[in-house]
Amino acid sequence: MIDTVDLRKSISIEDDNIIKDIKSKSIDKLKLSYKKYKEEYKYTPLLRNIEKKFGSFNSSKNIKKVDSYKDLISTNDKYYIVTLNGTFIENLSKIPNGIDIKNLKDLSKNEQNIFIHSYSKIDDSIDDIFSSINSILHSNCLTFRIKKSTILKEKISIINIVDSSKPTYFRKCFIIDKNSEVSFSEEFINITKDGNFSNSVNEIYMDENAVLNYFSTQNINKNYHYNSINVFQKRNSTSNFHTYSFSGSIIRNNLNIKLLDKSCFANMYGFYAIKNGSHIDNHTSVDHLDENSISNEHYKGIVDNGSNGVFNGKIFVRQKAQKTNAFQSNNNILLSDNAKVNTKPQLEIWADDVKCSHGCTVGQLDDDALFYLMSRGISRKDAISLLLSAFSTDITEKIEDKEIREEYQLMILKELEGLNYE
Amino acid sequence: MLEIKNLHASIDNTKILNGLDLSVNAGEVHAIMGPNGSGKSTLASVIAGREDYDVTDGEINFQGNELSDIGPDERAREGIFLAFQYPVEIPGVSTTNFMKTAVNQIRESKGEKPLDAVEFLKLMKEKMKLVNIKQELLSRSINEGFSGGEKKRNEIFQMAMLNPKLSILDETDSGLDIDALKIVSKGVNALKSKENATVVVTHYQRLLEYIVPDFVHVLMDGKIVKSGDKNLALELEEKGYDWIKVKN
Ligand SMILES: Nc1ncnc2c1ncn2[C@@H]1O[C@H](COP(=O)(O)OP(=O)(O)OP(=O)(O)O)[C@@H](O)[C@H]1O
Ligand SMILES: [Mg+2]
Repeated sequence: MIDTVDLRKSISIEDDNIIKDIKSKSIDKLKLSYKKYKEEYKYTPLLRNIEKKFGSFNSSKNIKKVDSYKDLISTNDKYYIVTLNGTFIENLSKIPNGIDIKNLKDLSKNEQNIFIHSYSKIDDSIDDIFSSINSILHSNCLTFRIKKSTILKEKISIINIVDSSKPTYFRKCFIIDKNSEVSFSEEFINITKDGNFSNSVNEIYMDENAVLNYFSTQNINKNYHYNSINVFQKRNSTSNFHTYSFSGSIIRNNLNIKLLDKSCFANMYGFYAIKNGSHIDNHTSVDHLDENSISNEHYKGIVDNGSNGVFNGKIFVRQKAQKTNAFQSNNNILLSDNAKVNTKPQLEIWADDVKCSHGCTVGQLDDDALFYLMSRGISRKDAISLLLSAFSTDITEKIEDKEIREEYQLMILKELEGLNYE
Repeated sequence: MLEIKNLHASIDNTKILNGLDLSVNAGEVHAIMGPNGSGKSTLASVIAGREDYDVTDGEINFQGNELSDIGPDERAREGIFLAFQYPVEIPGVSTTNFMKTAVNQIRESKGEKPLDAVEFLKLMKEKMKLVNIKQELLSRSINEGFSGGEKKRNEIFQMAMLNPKLSILDETDSGLDIDALKIVSKGVNALKSKENATVVVTHYQRLLEYIVPDFVHVLMDGKIVKSGDKNLALELEEKGYDWIKVKN
């Protein structure tokens, strides 16, 4: 069990009483979330790995020089937000009009109240020990306010730099006001060579008619990463999540969507191509609390020799949520006898007038198709690439923006080259 | 061109080909007939290099090279083409993209420059006309949702695109209506030359009226048990395969 004395000490330096109070409540919840850990992390021994590797959950308080990180920003990005070990680096960021990005502590009392109201209130910290730890140990929540009726067609990149030999904590809270539309892509870039741990929790509040596109790209080699995204949707809002994972010692993704109101729309799409002994765990849940909402979920993945995939998808349809449509599927290709996938759908339905479907498959590369392609003169390697990238098109074609879609298709082609098959 | 001697092949420890001999020269058309399950498709797959089959004895020579260590991709580049009895559906890959990859990999293996988009399109248009296949079909996923006849036509289209030396057509005629049969035969005949050879596997004498064979072979129990000219096909149609069994 985690040393709470140490954690209590770490929050004693907190000068804001409200935040201190929230944090100390999170400490009280630890016992509960630790209990749930055993069940929720059955196939993903993240806690053991982190304790063994880092000894303590505490992060480093050293502030690094930031100029050297400039090169990490892609020249393709029009707008970007840079954080370093969880701290917002404003002078490296470029923020479009219509959106306010500030540290929670730097907000006016008025603005703060709006965020505090949502902040740390209904995240998954009662269920997940890593979210609890994040709630306690993150130093400053970065707030995003997308103002009413702001339509931002250009995507905003969130570049999180991890440069620390101690665990790092990233905390963000988004409020997307009525009738706004915005797209983010988020990525974690690891600078240290010897393996680090980044723990990120995002809370996203979507008001009526808001539209959000959210892309995550995960390619972190020998590092550990915990990522929890918690979404709360109001009437007629639409969220589209696209999660692409390629490597990581252990990556755990929690994506939890609550459809609080009528006529919400949630889409969760994921693709993983896991190699070099990586372990990638996608845990998702969508909770239909009111009538007439639609959720679509489709994750597909390719797992190579010695790598591990985990998928767990929960769908809740509450009694009030009549006329719900909820679809879920997860398809996997294992490239060797030594590749593993654990996939589990979980449906809990209390309403009677609903349409739900779920299904998962675990298969191999289609030998007949491979022979067919090769019999036309295509090399084995290229034939496999063609088949695997075809396998991913179901997911990439869900990206509406042509430029972004092609960017991901190219990325996948490149990542497929690195897969080991027998 | 193709010289098969004493070929023995098995799959999952089941022996299917039992000492098969066959010799095909450039410029010739051979027909292979035989009852269901006698090993015709197996022979076709083994020639094309399908790795699931174990060749336990004998050899296949193609243009003087022994093929045993050569994969299906290299065999295709050497000029072997198999029109599948059951063409495979491949979701997510269009025939156009597939053919572009194939044509250019074959060209590169010969040290030729890959075709650019315009050249490729021109080649495609020309071959589409030959087998009367629509562009729309080719931009869809390979064979996915194609009718039986469309799949067969797609096979001949691919054959035309790759311009092989040895074409093996495994029951390309089955499932075709009369008009389609004519179109497909016309395509095959148009591609025929002194330098290449065709092996057609069929159950029906009808096809052989359009693609006239120089030799007809009967394959039974994994062996060629009888060979003759095109009249053998007529005789088979009349008397069935029992007639050969009895004679042996
Ligand atoms: N994987 C396998 N394991 C065992 N037997 C197999 C396997 N694959 C094919 N066979 C058998 O091999 C035999 C030859 O099959 P093949 O497809 O070559 O026949 P064919 O002459 O082409 O028949 P048809 O006229 O019906 O197309 C059949 O008896 C078939 O059941
Ligand atoms: Mg057959």
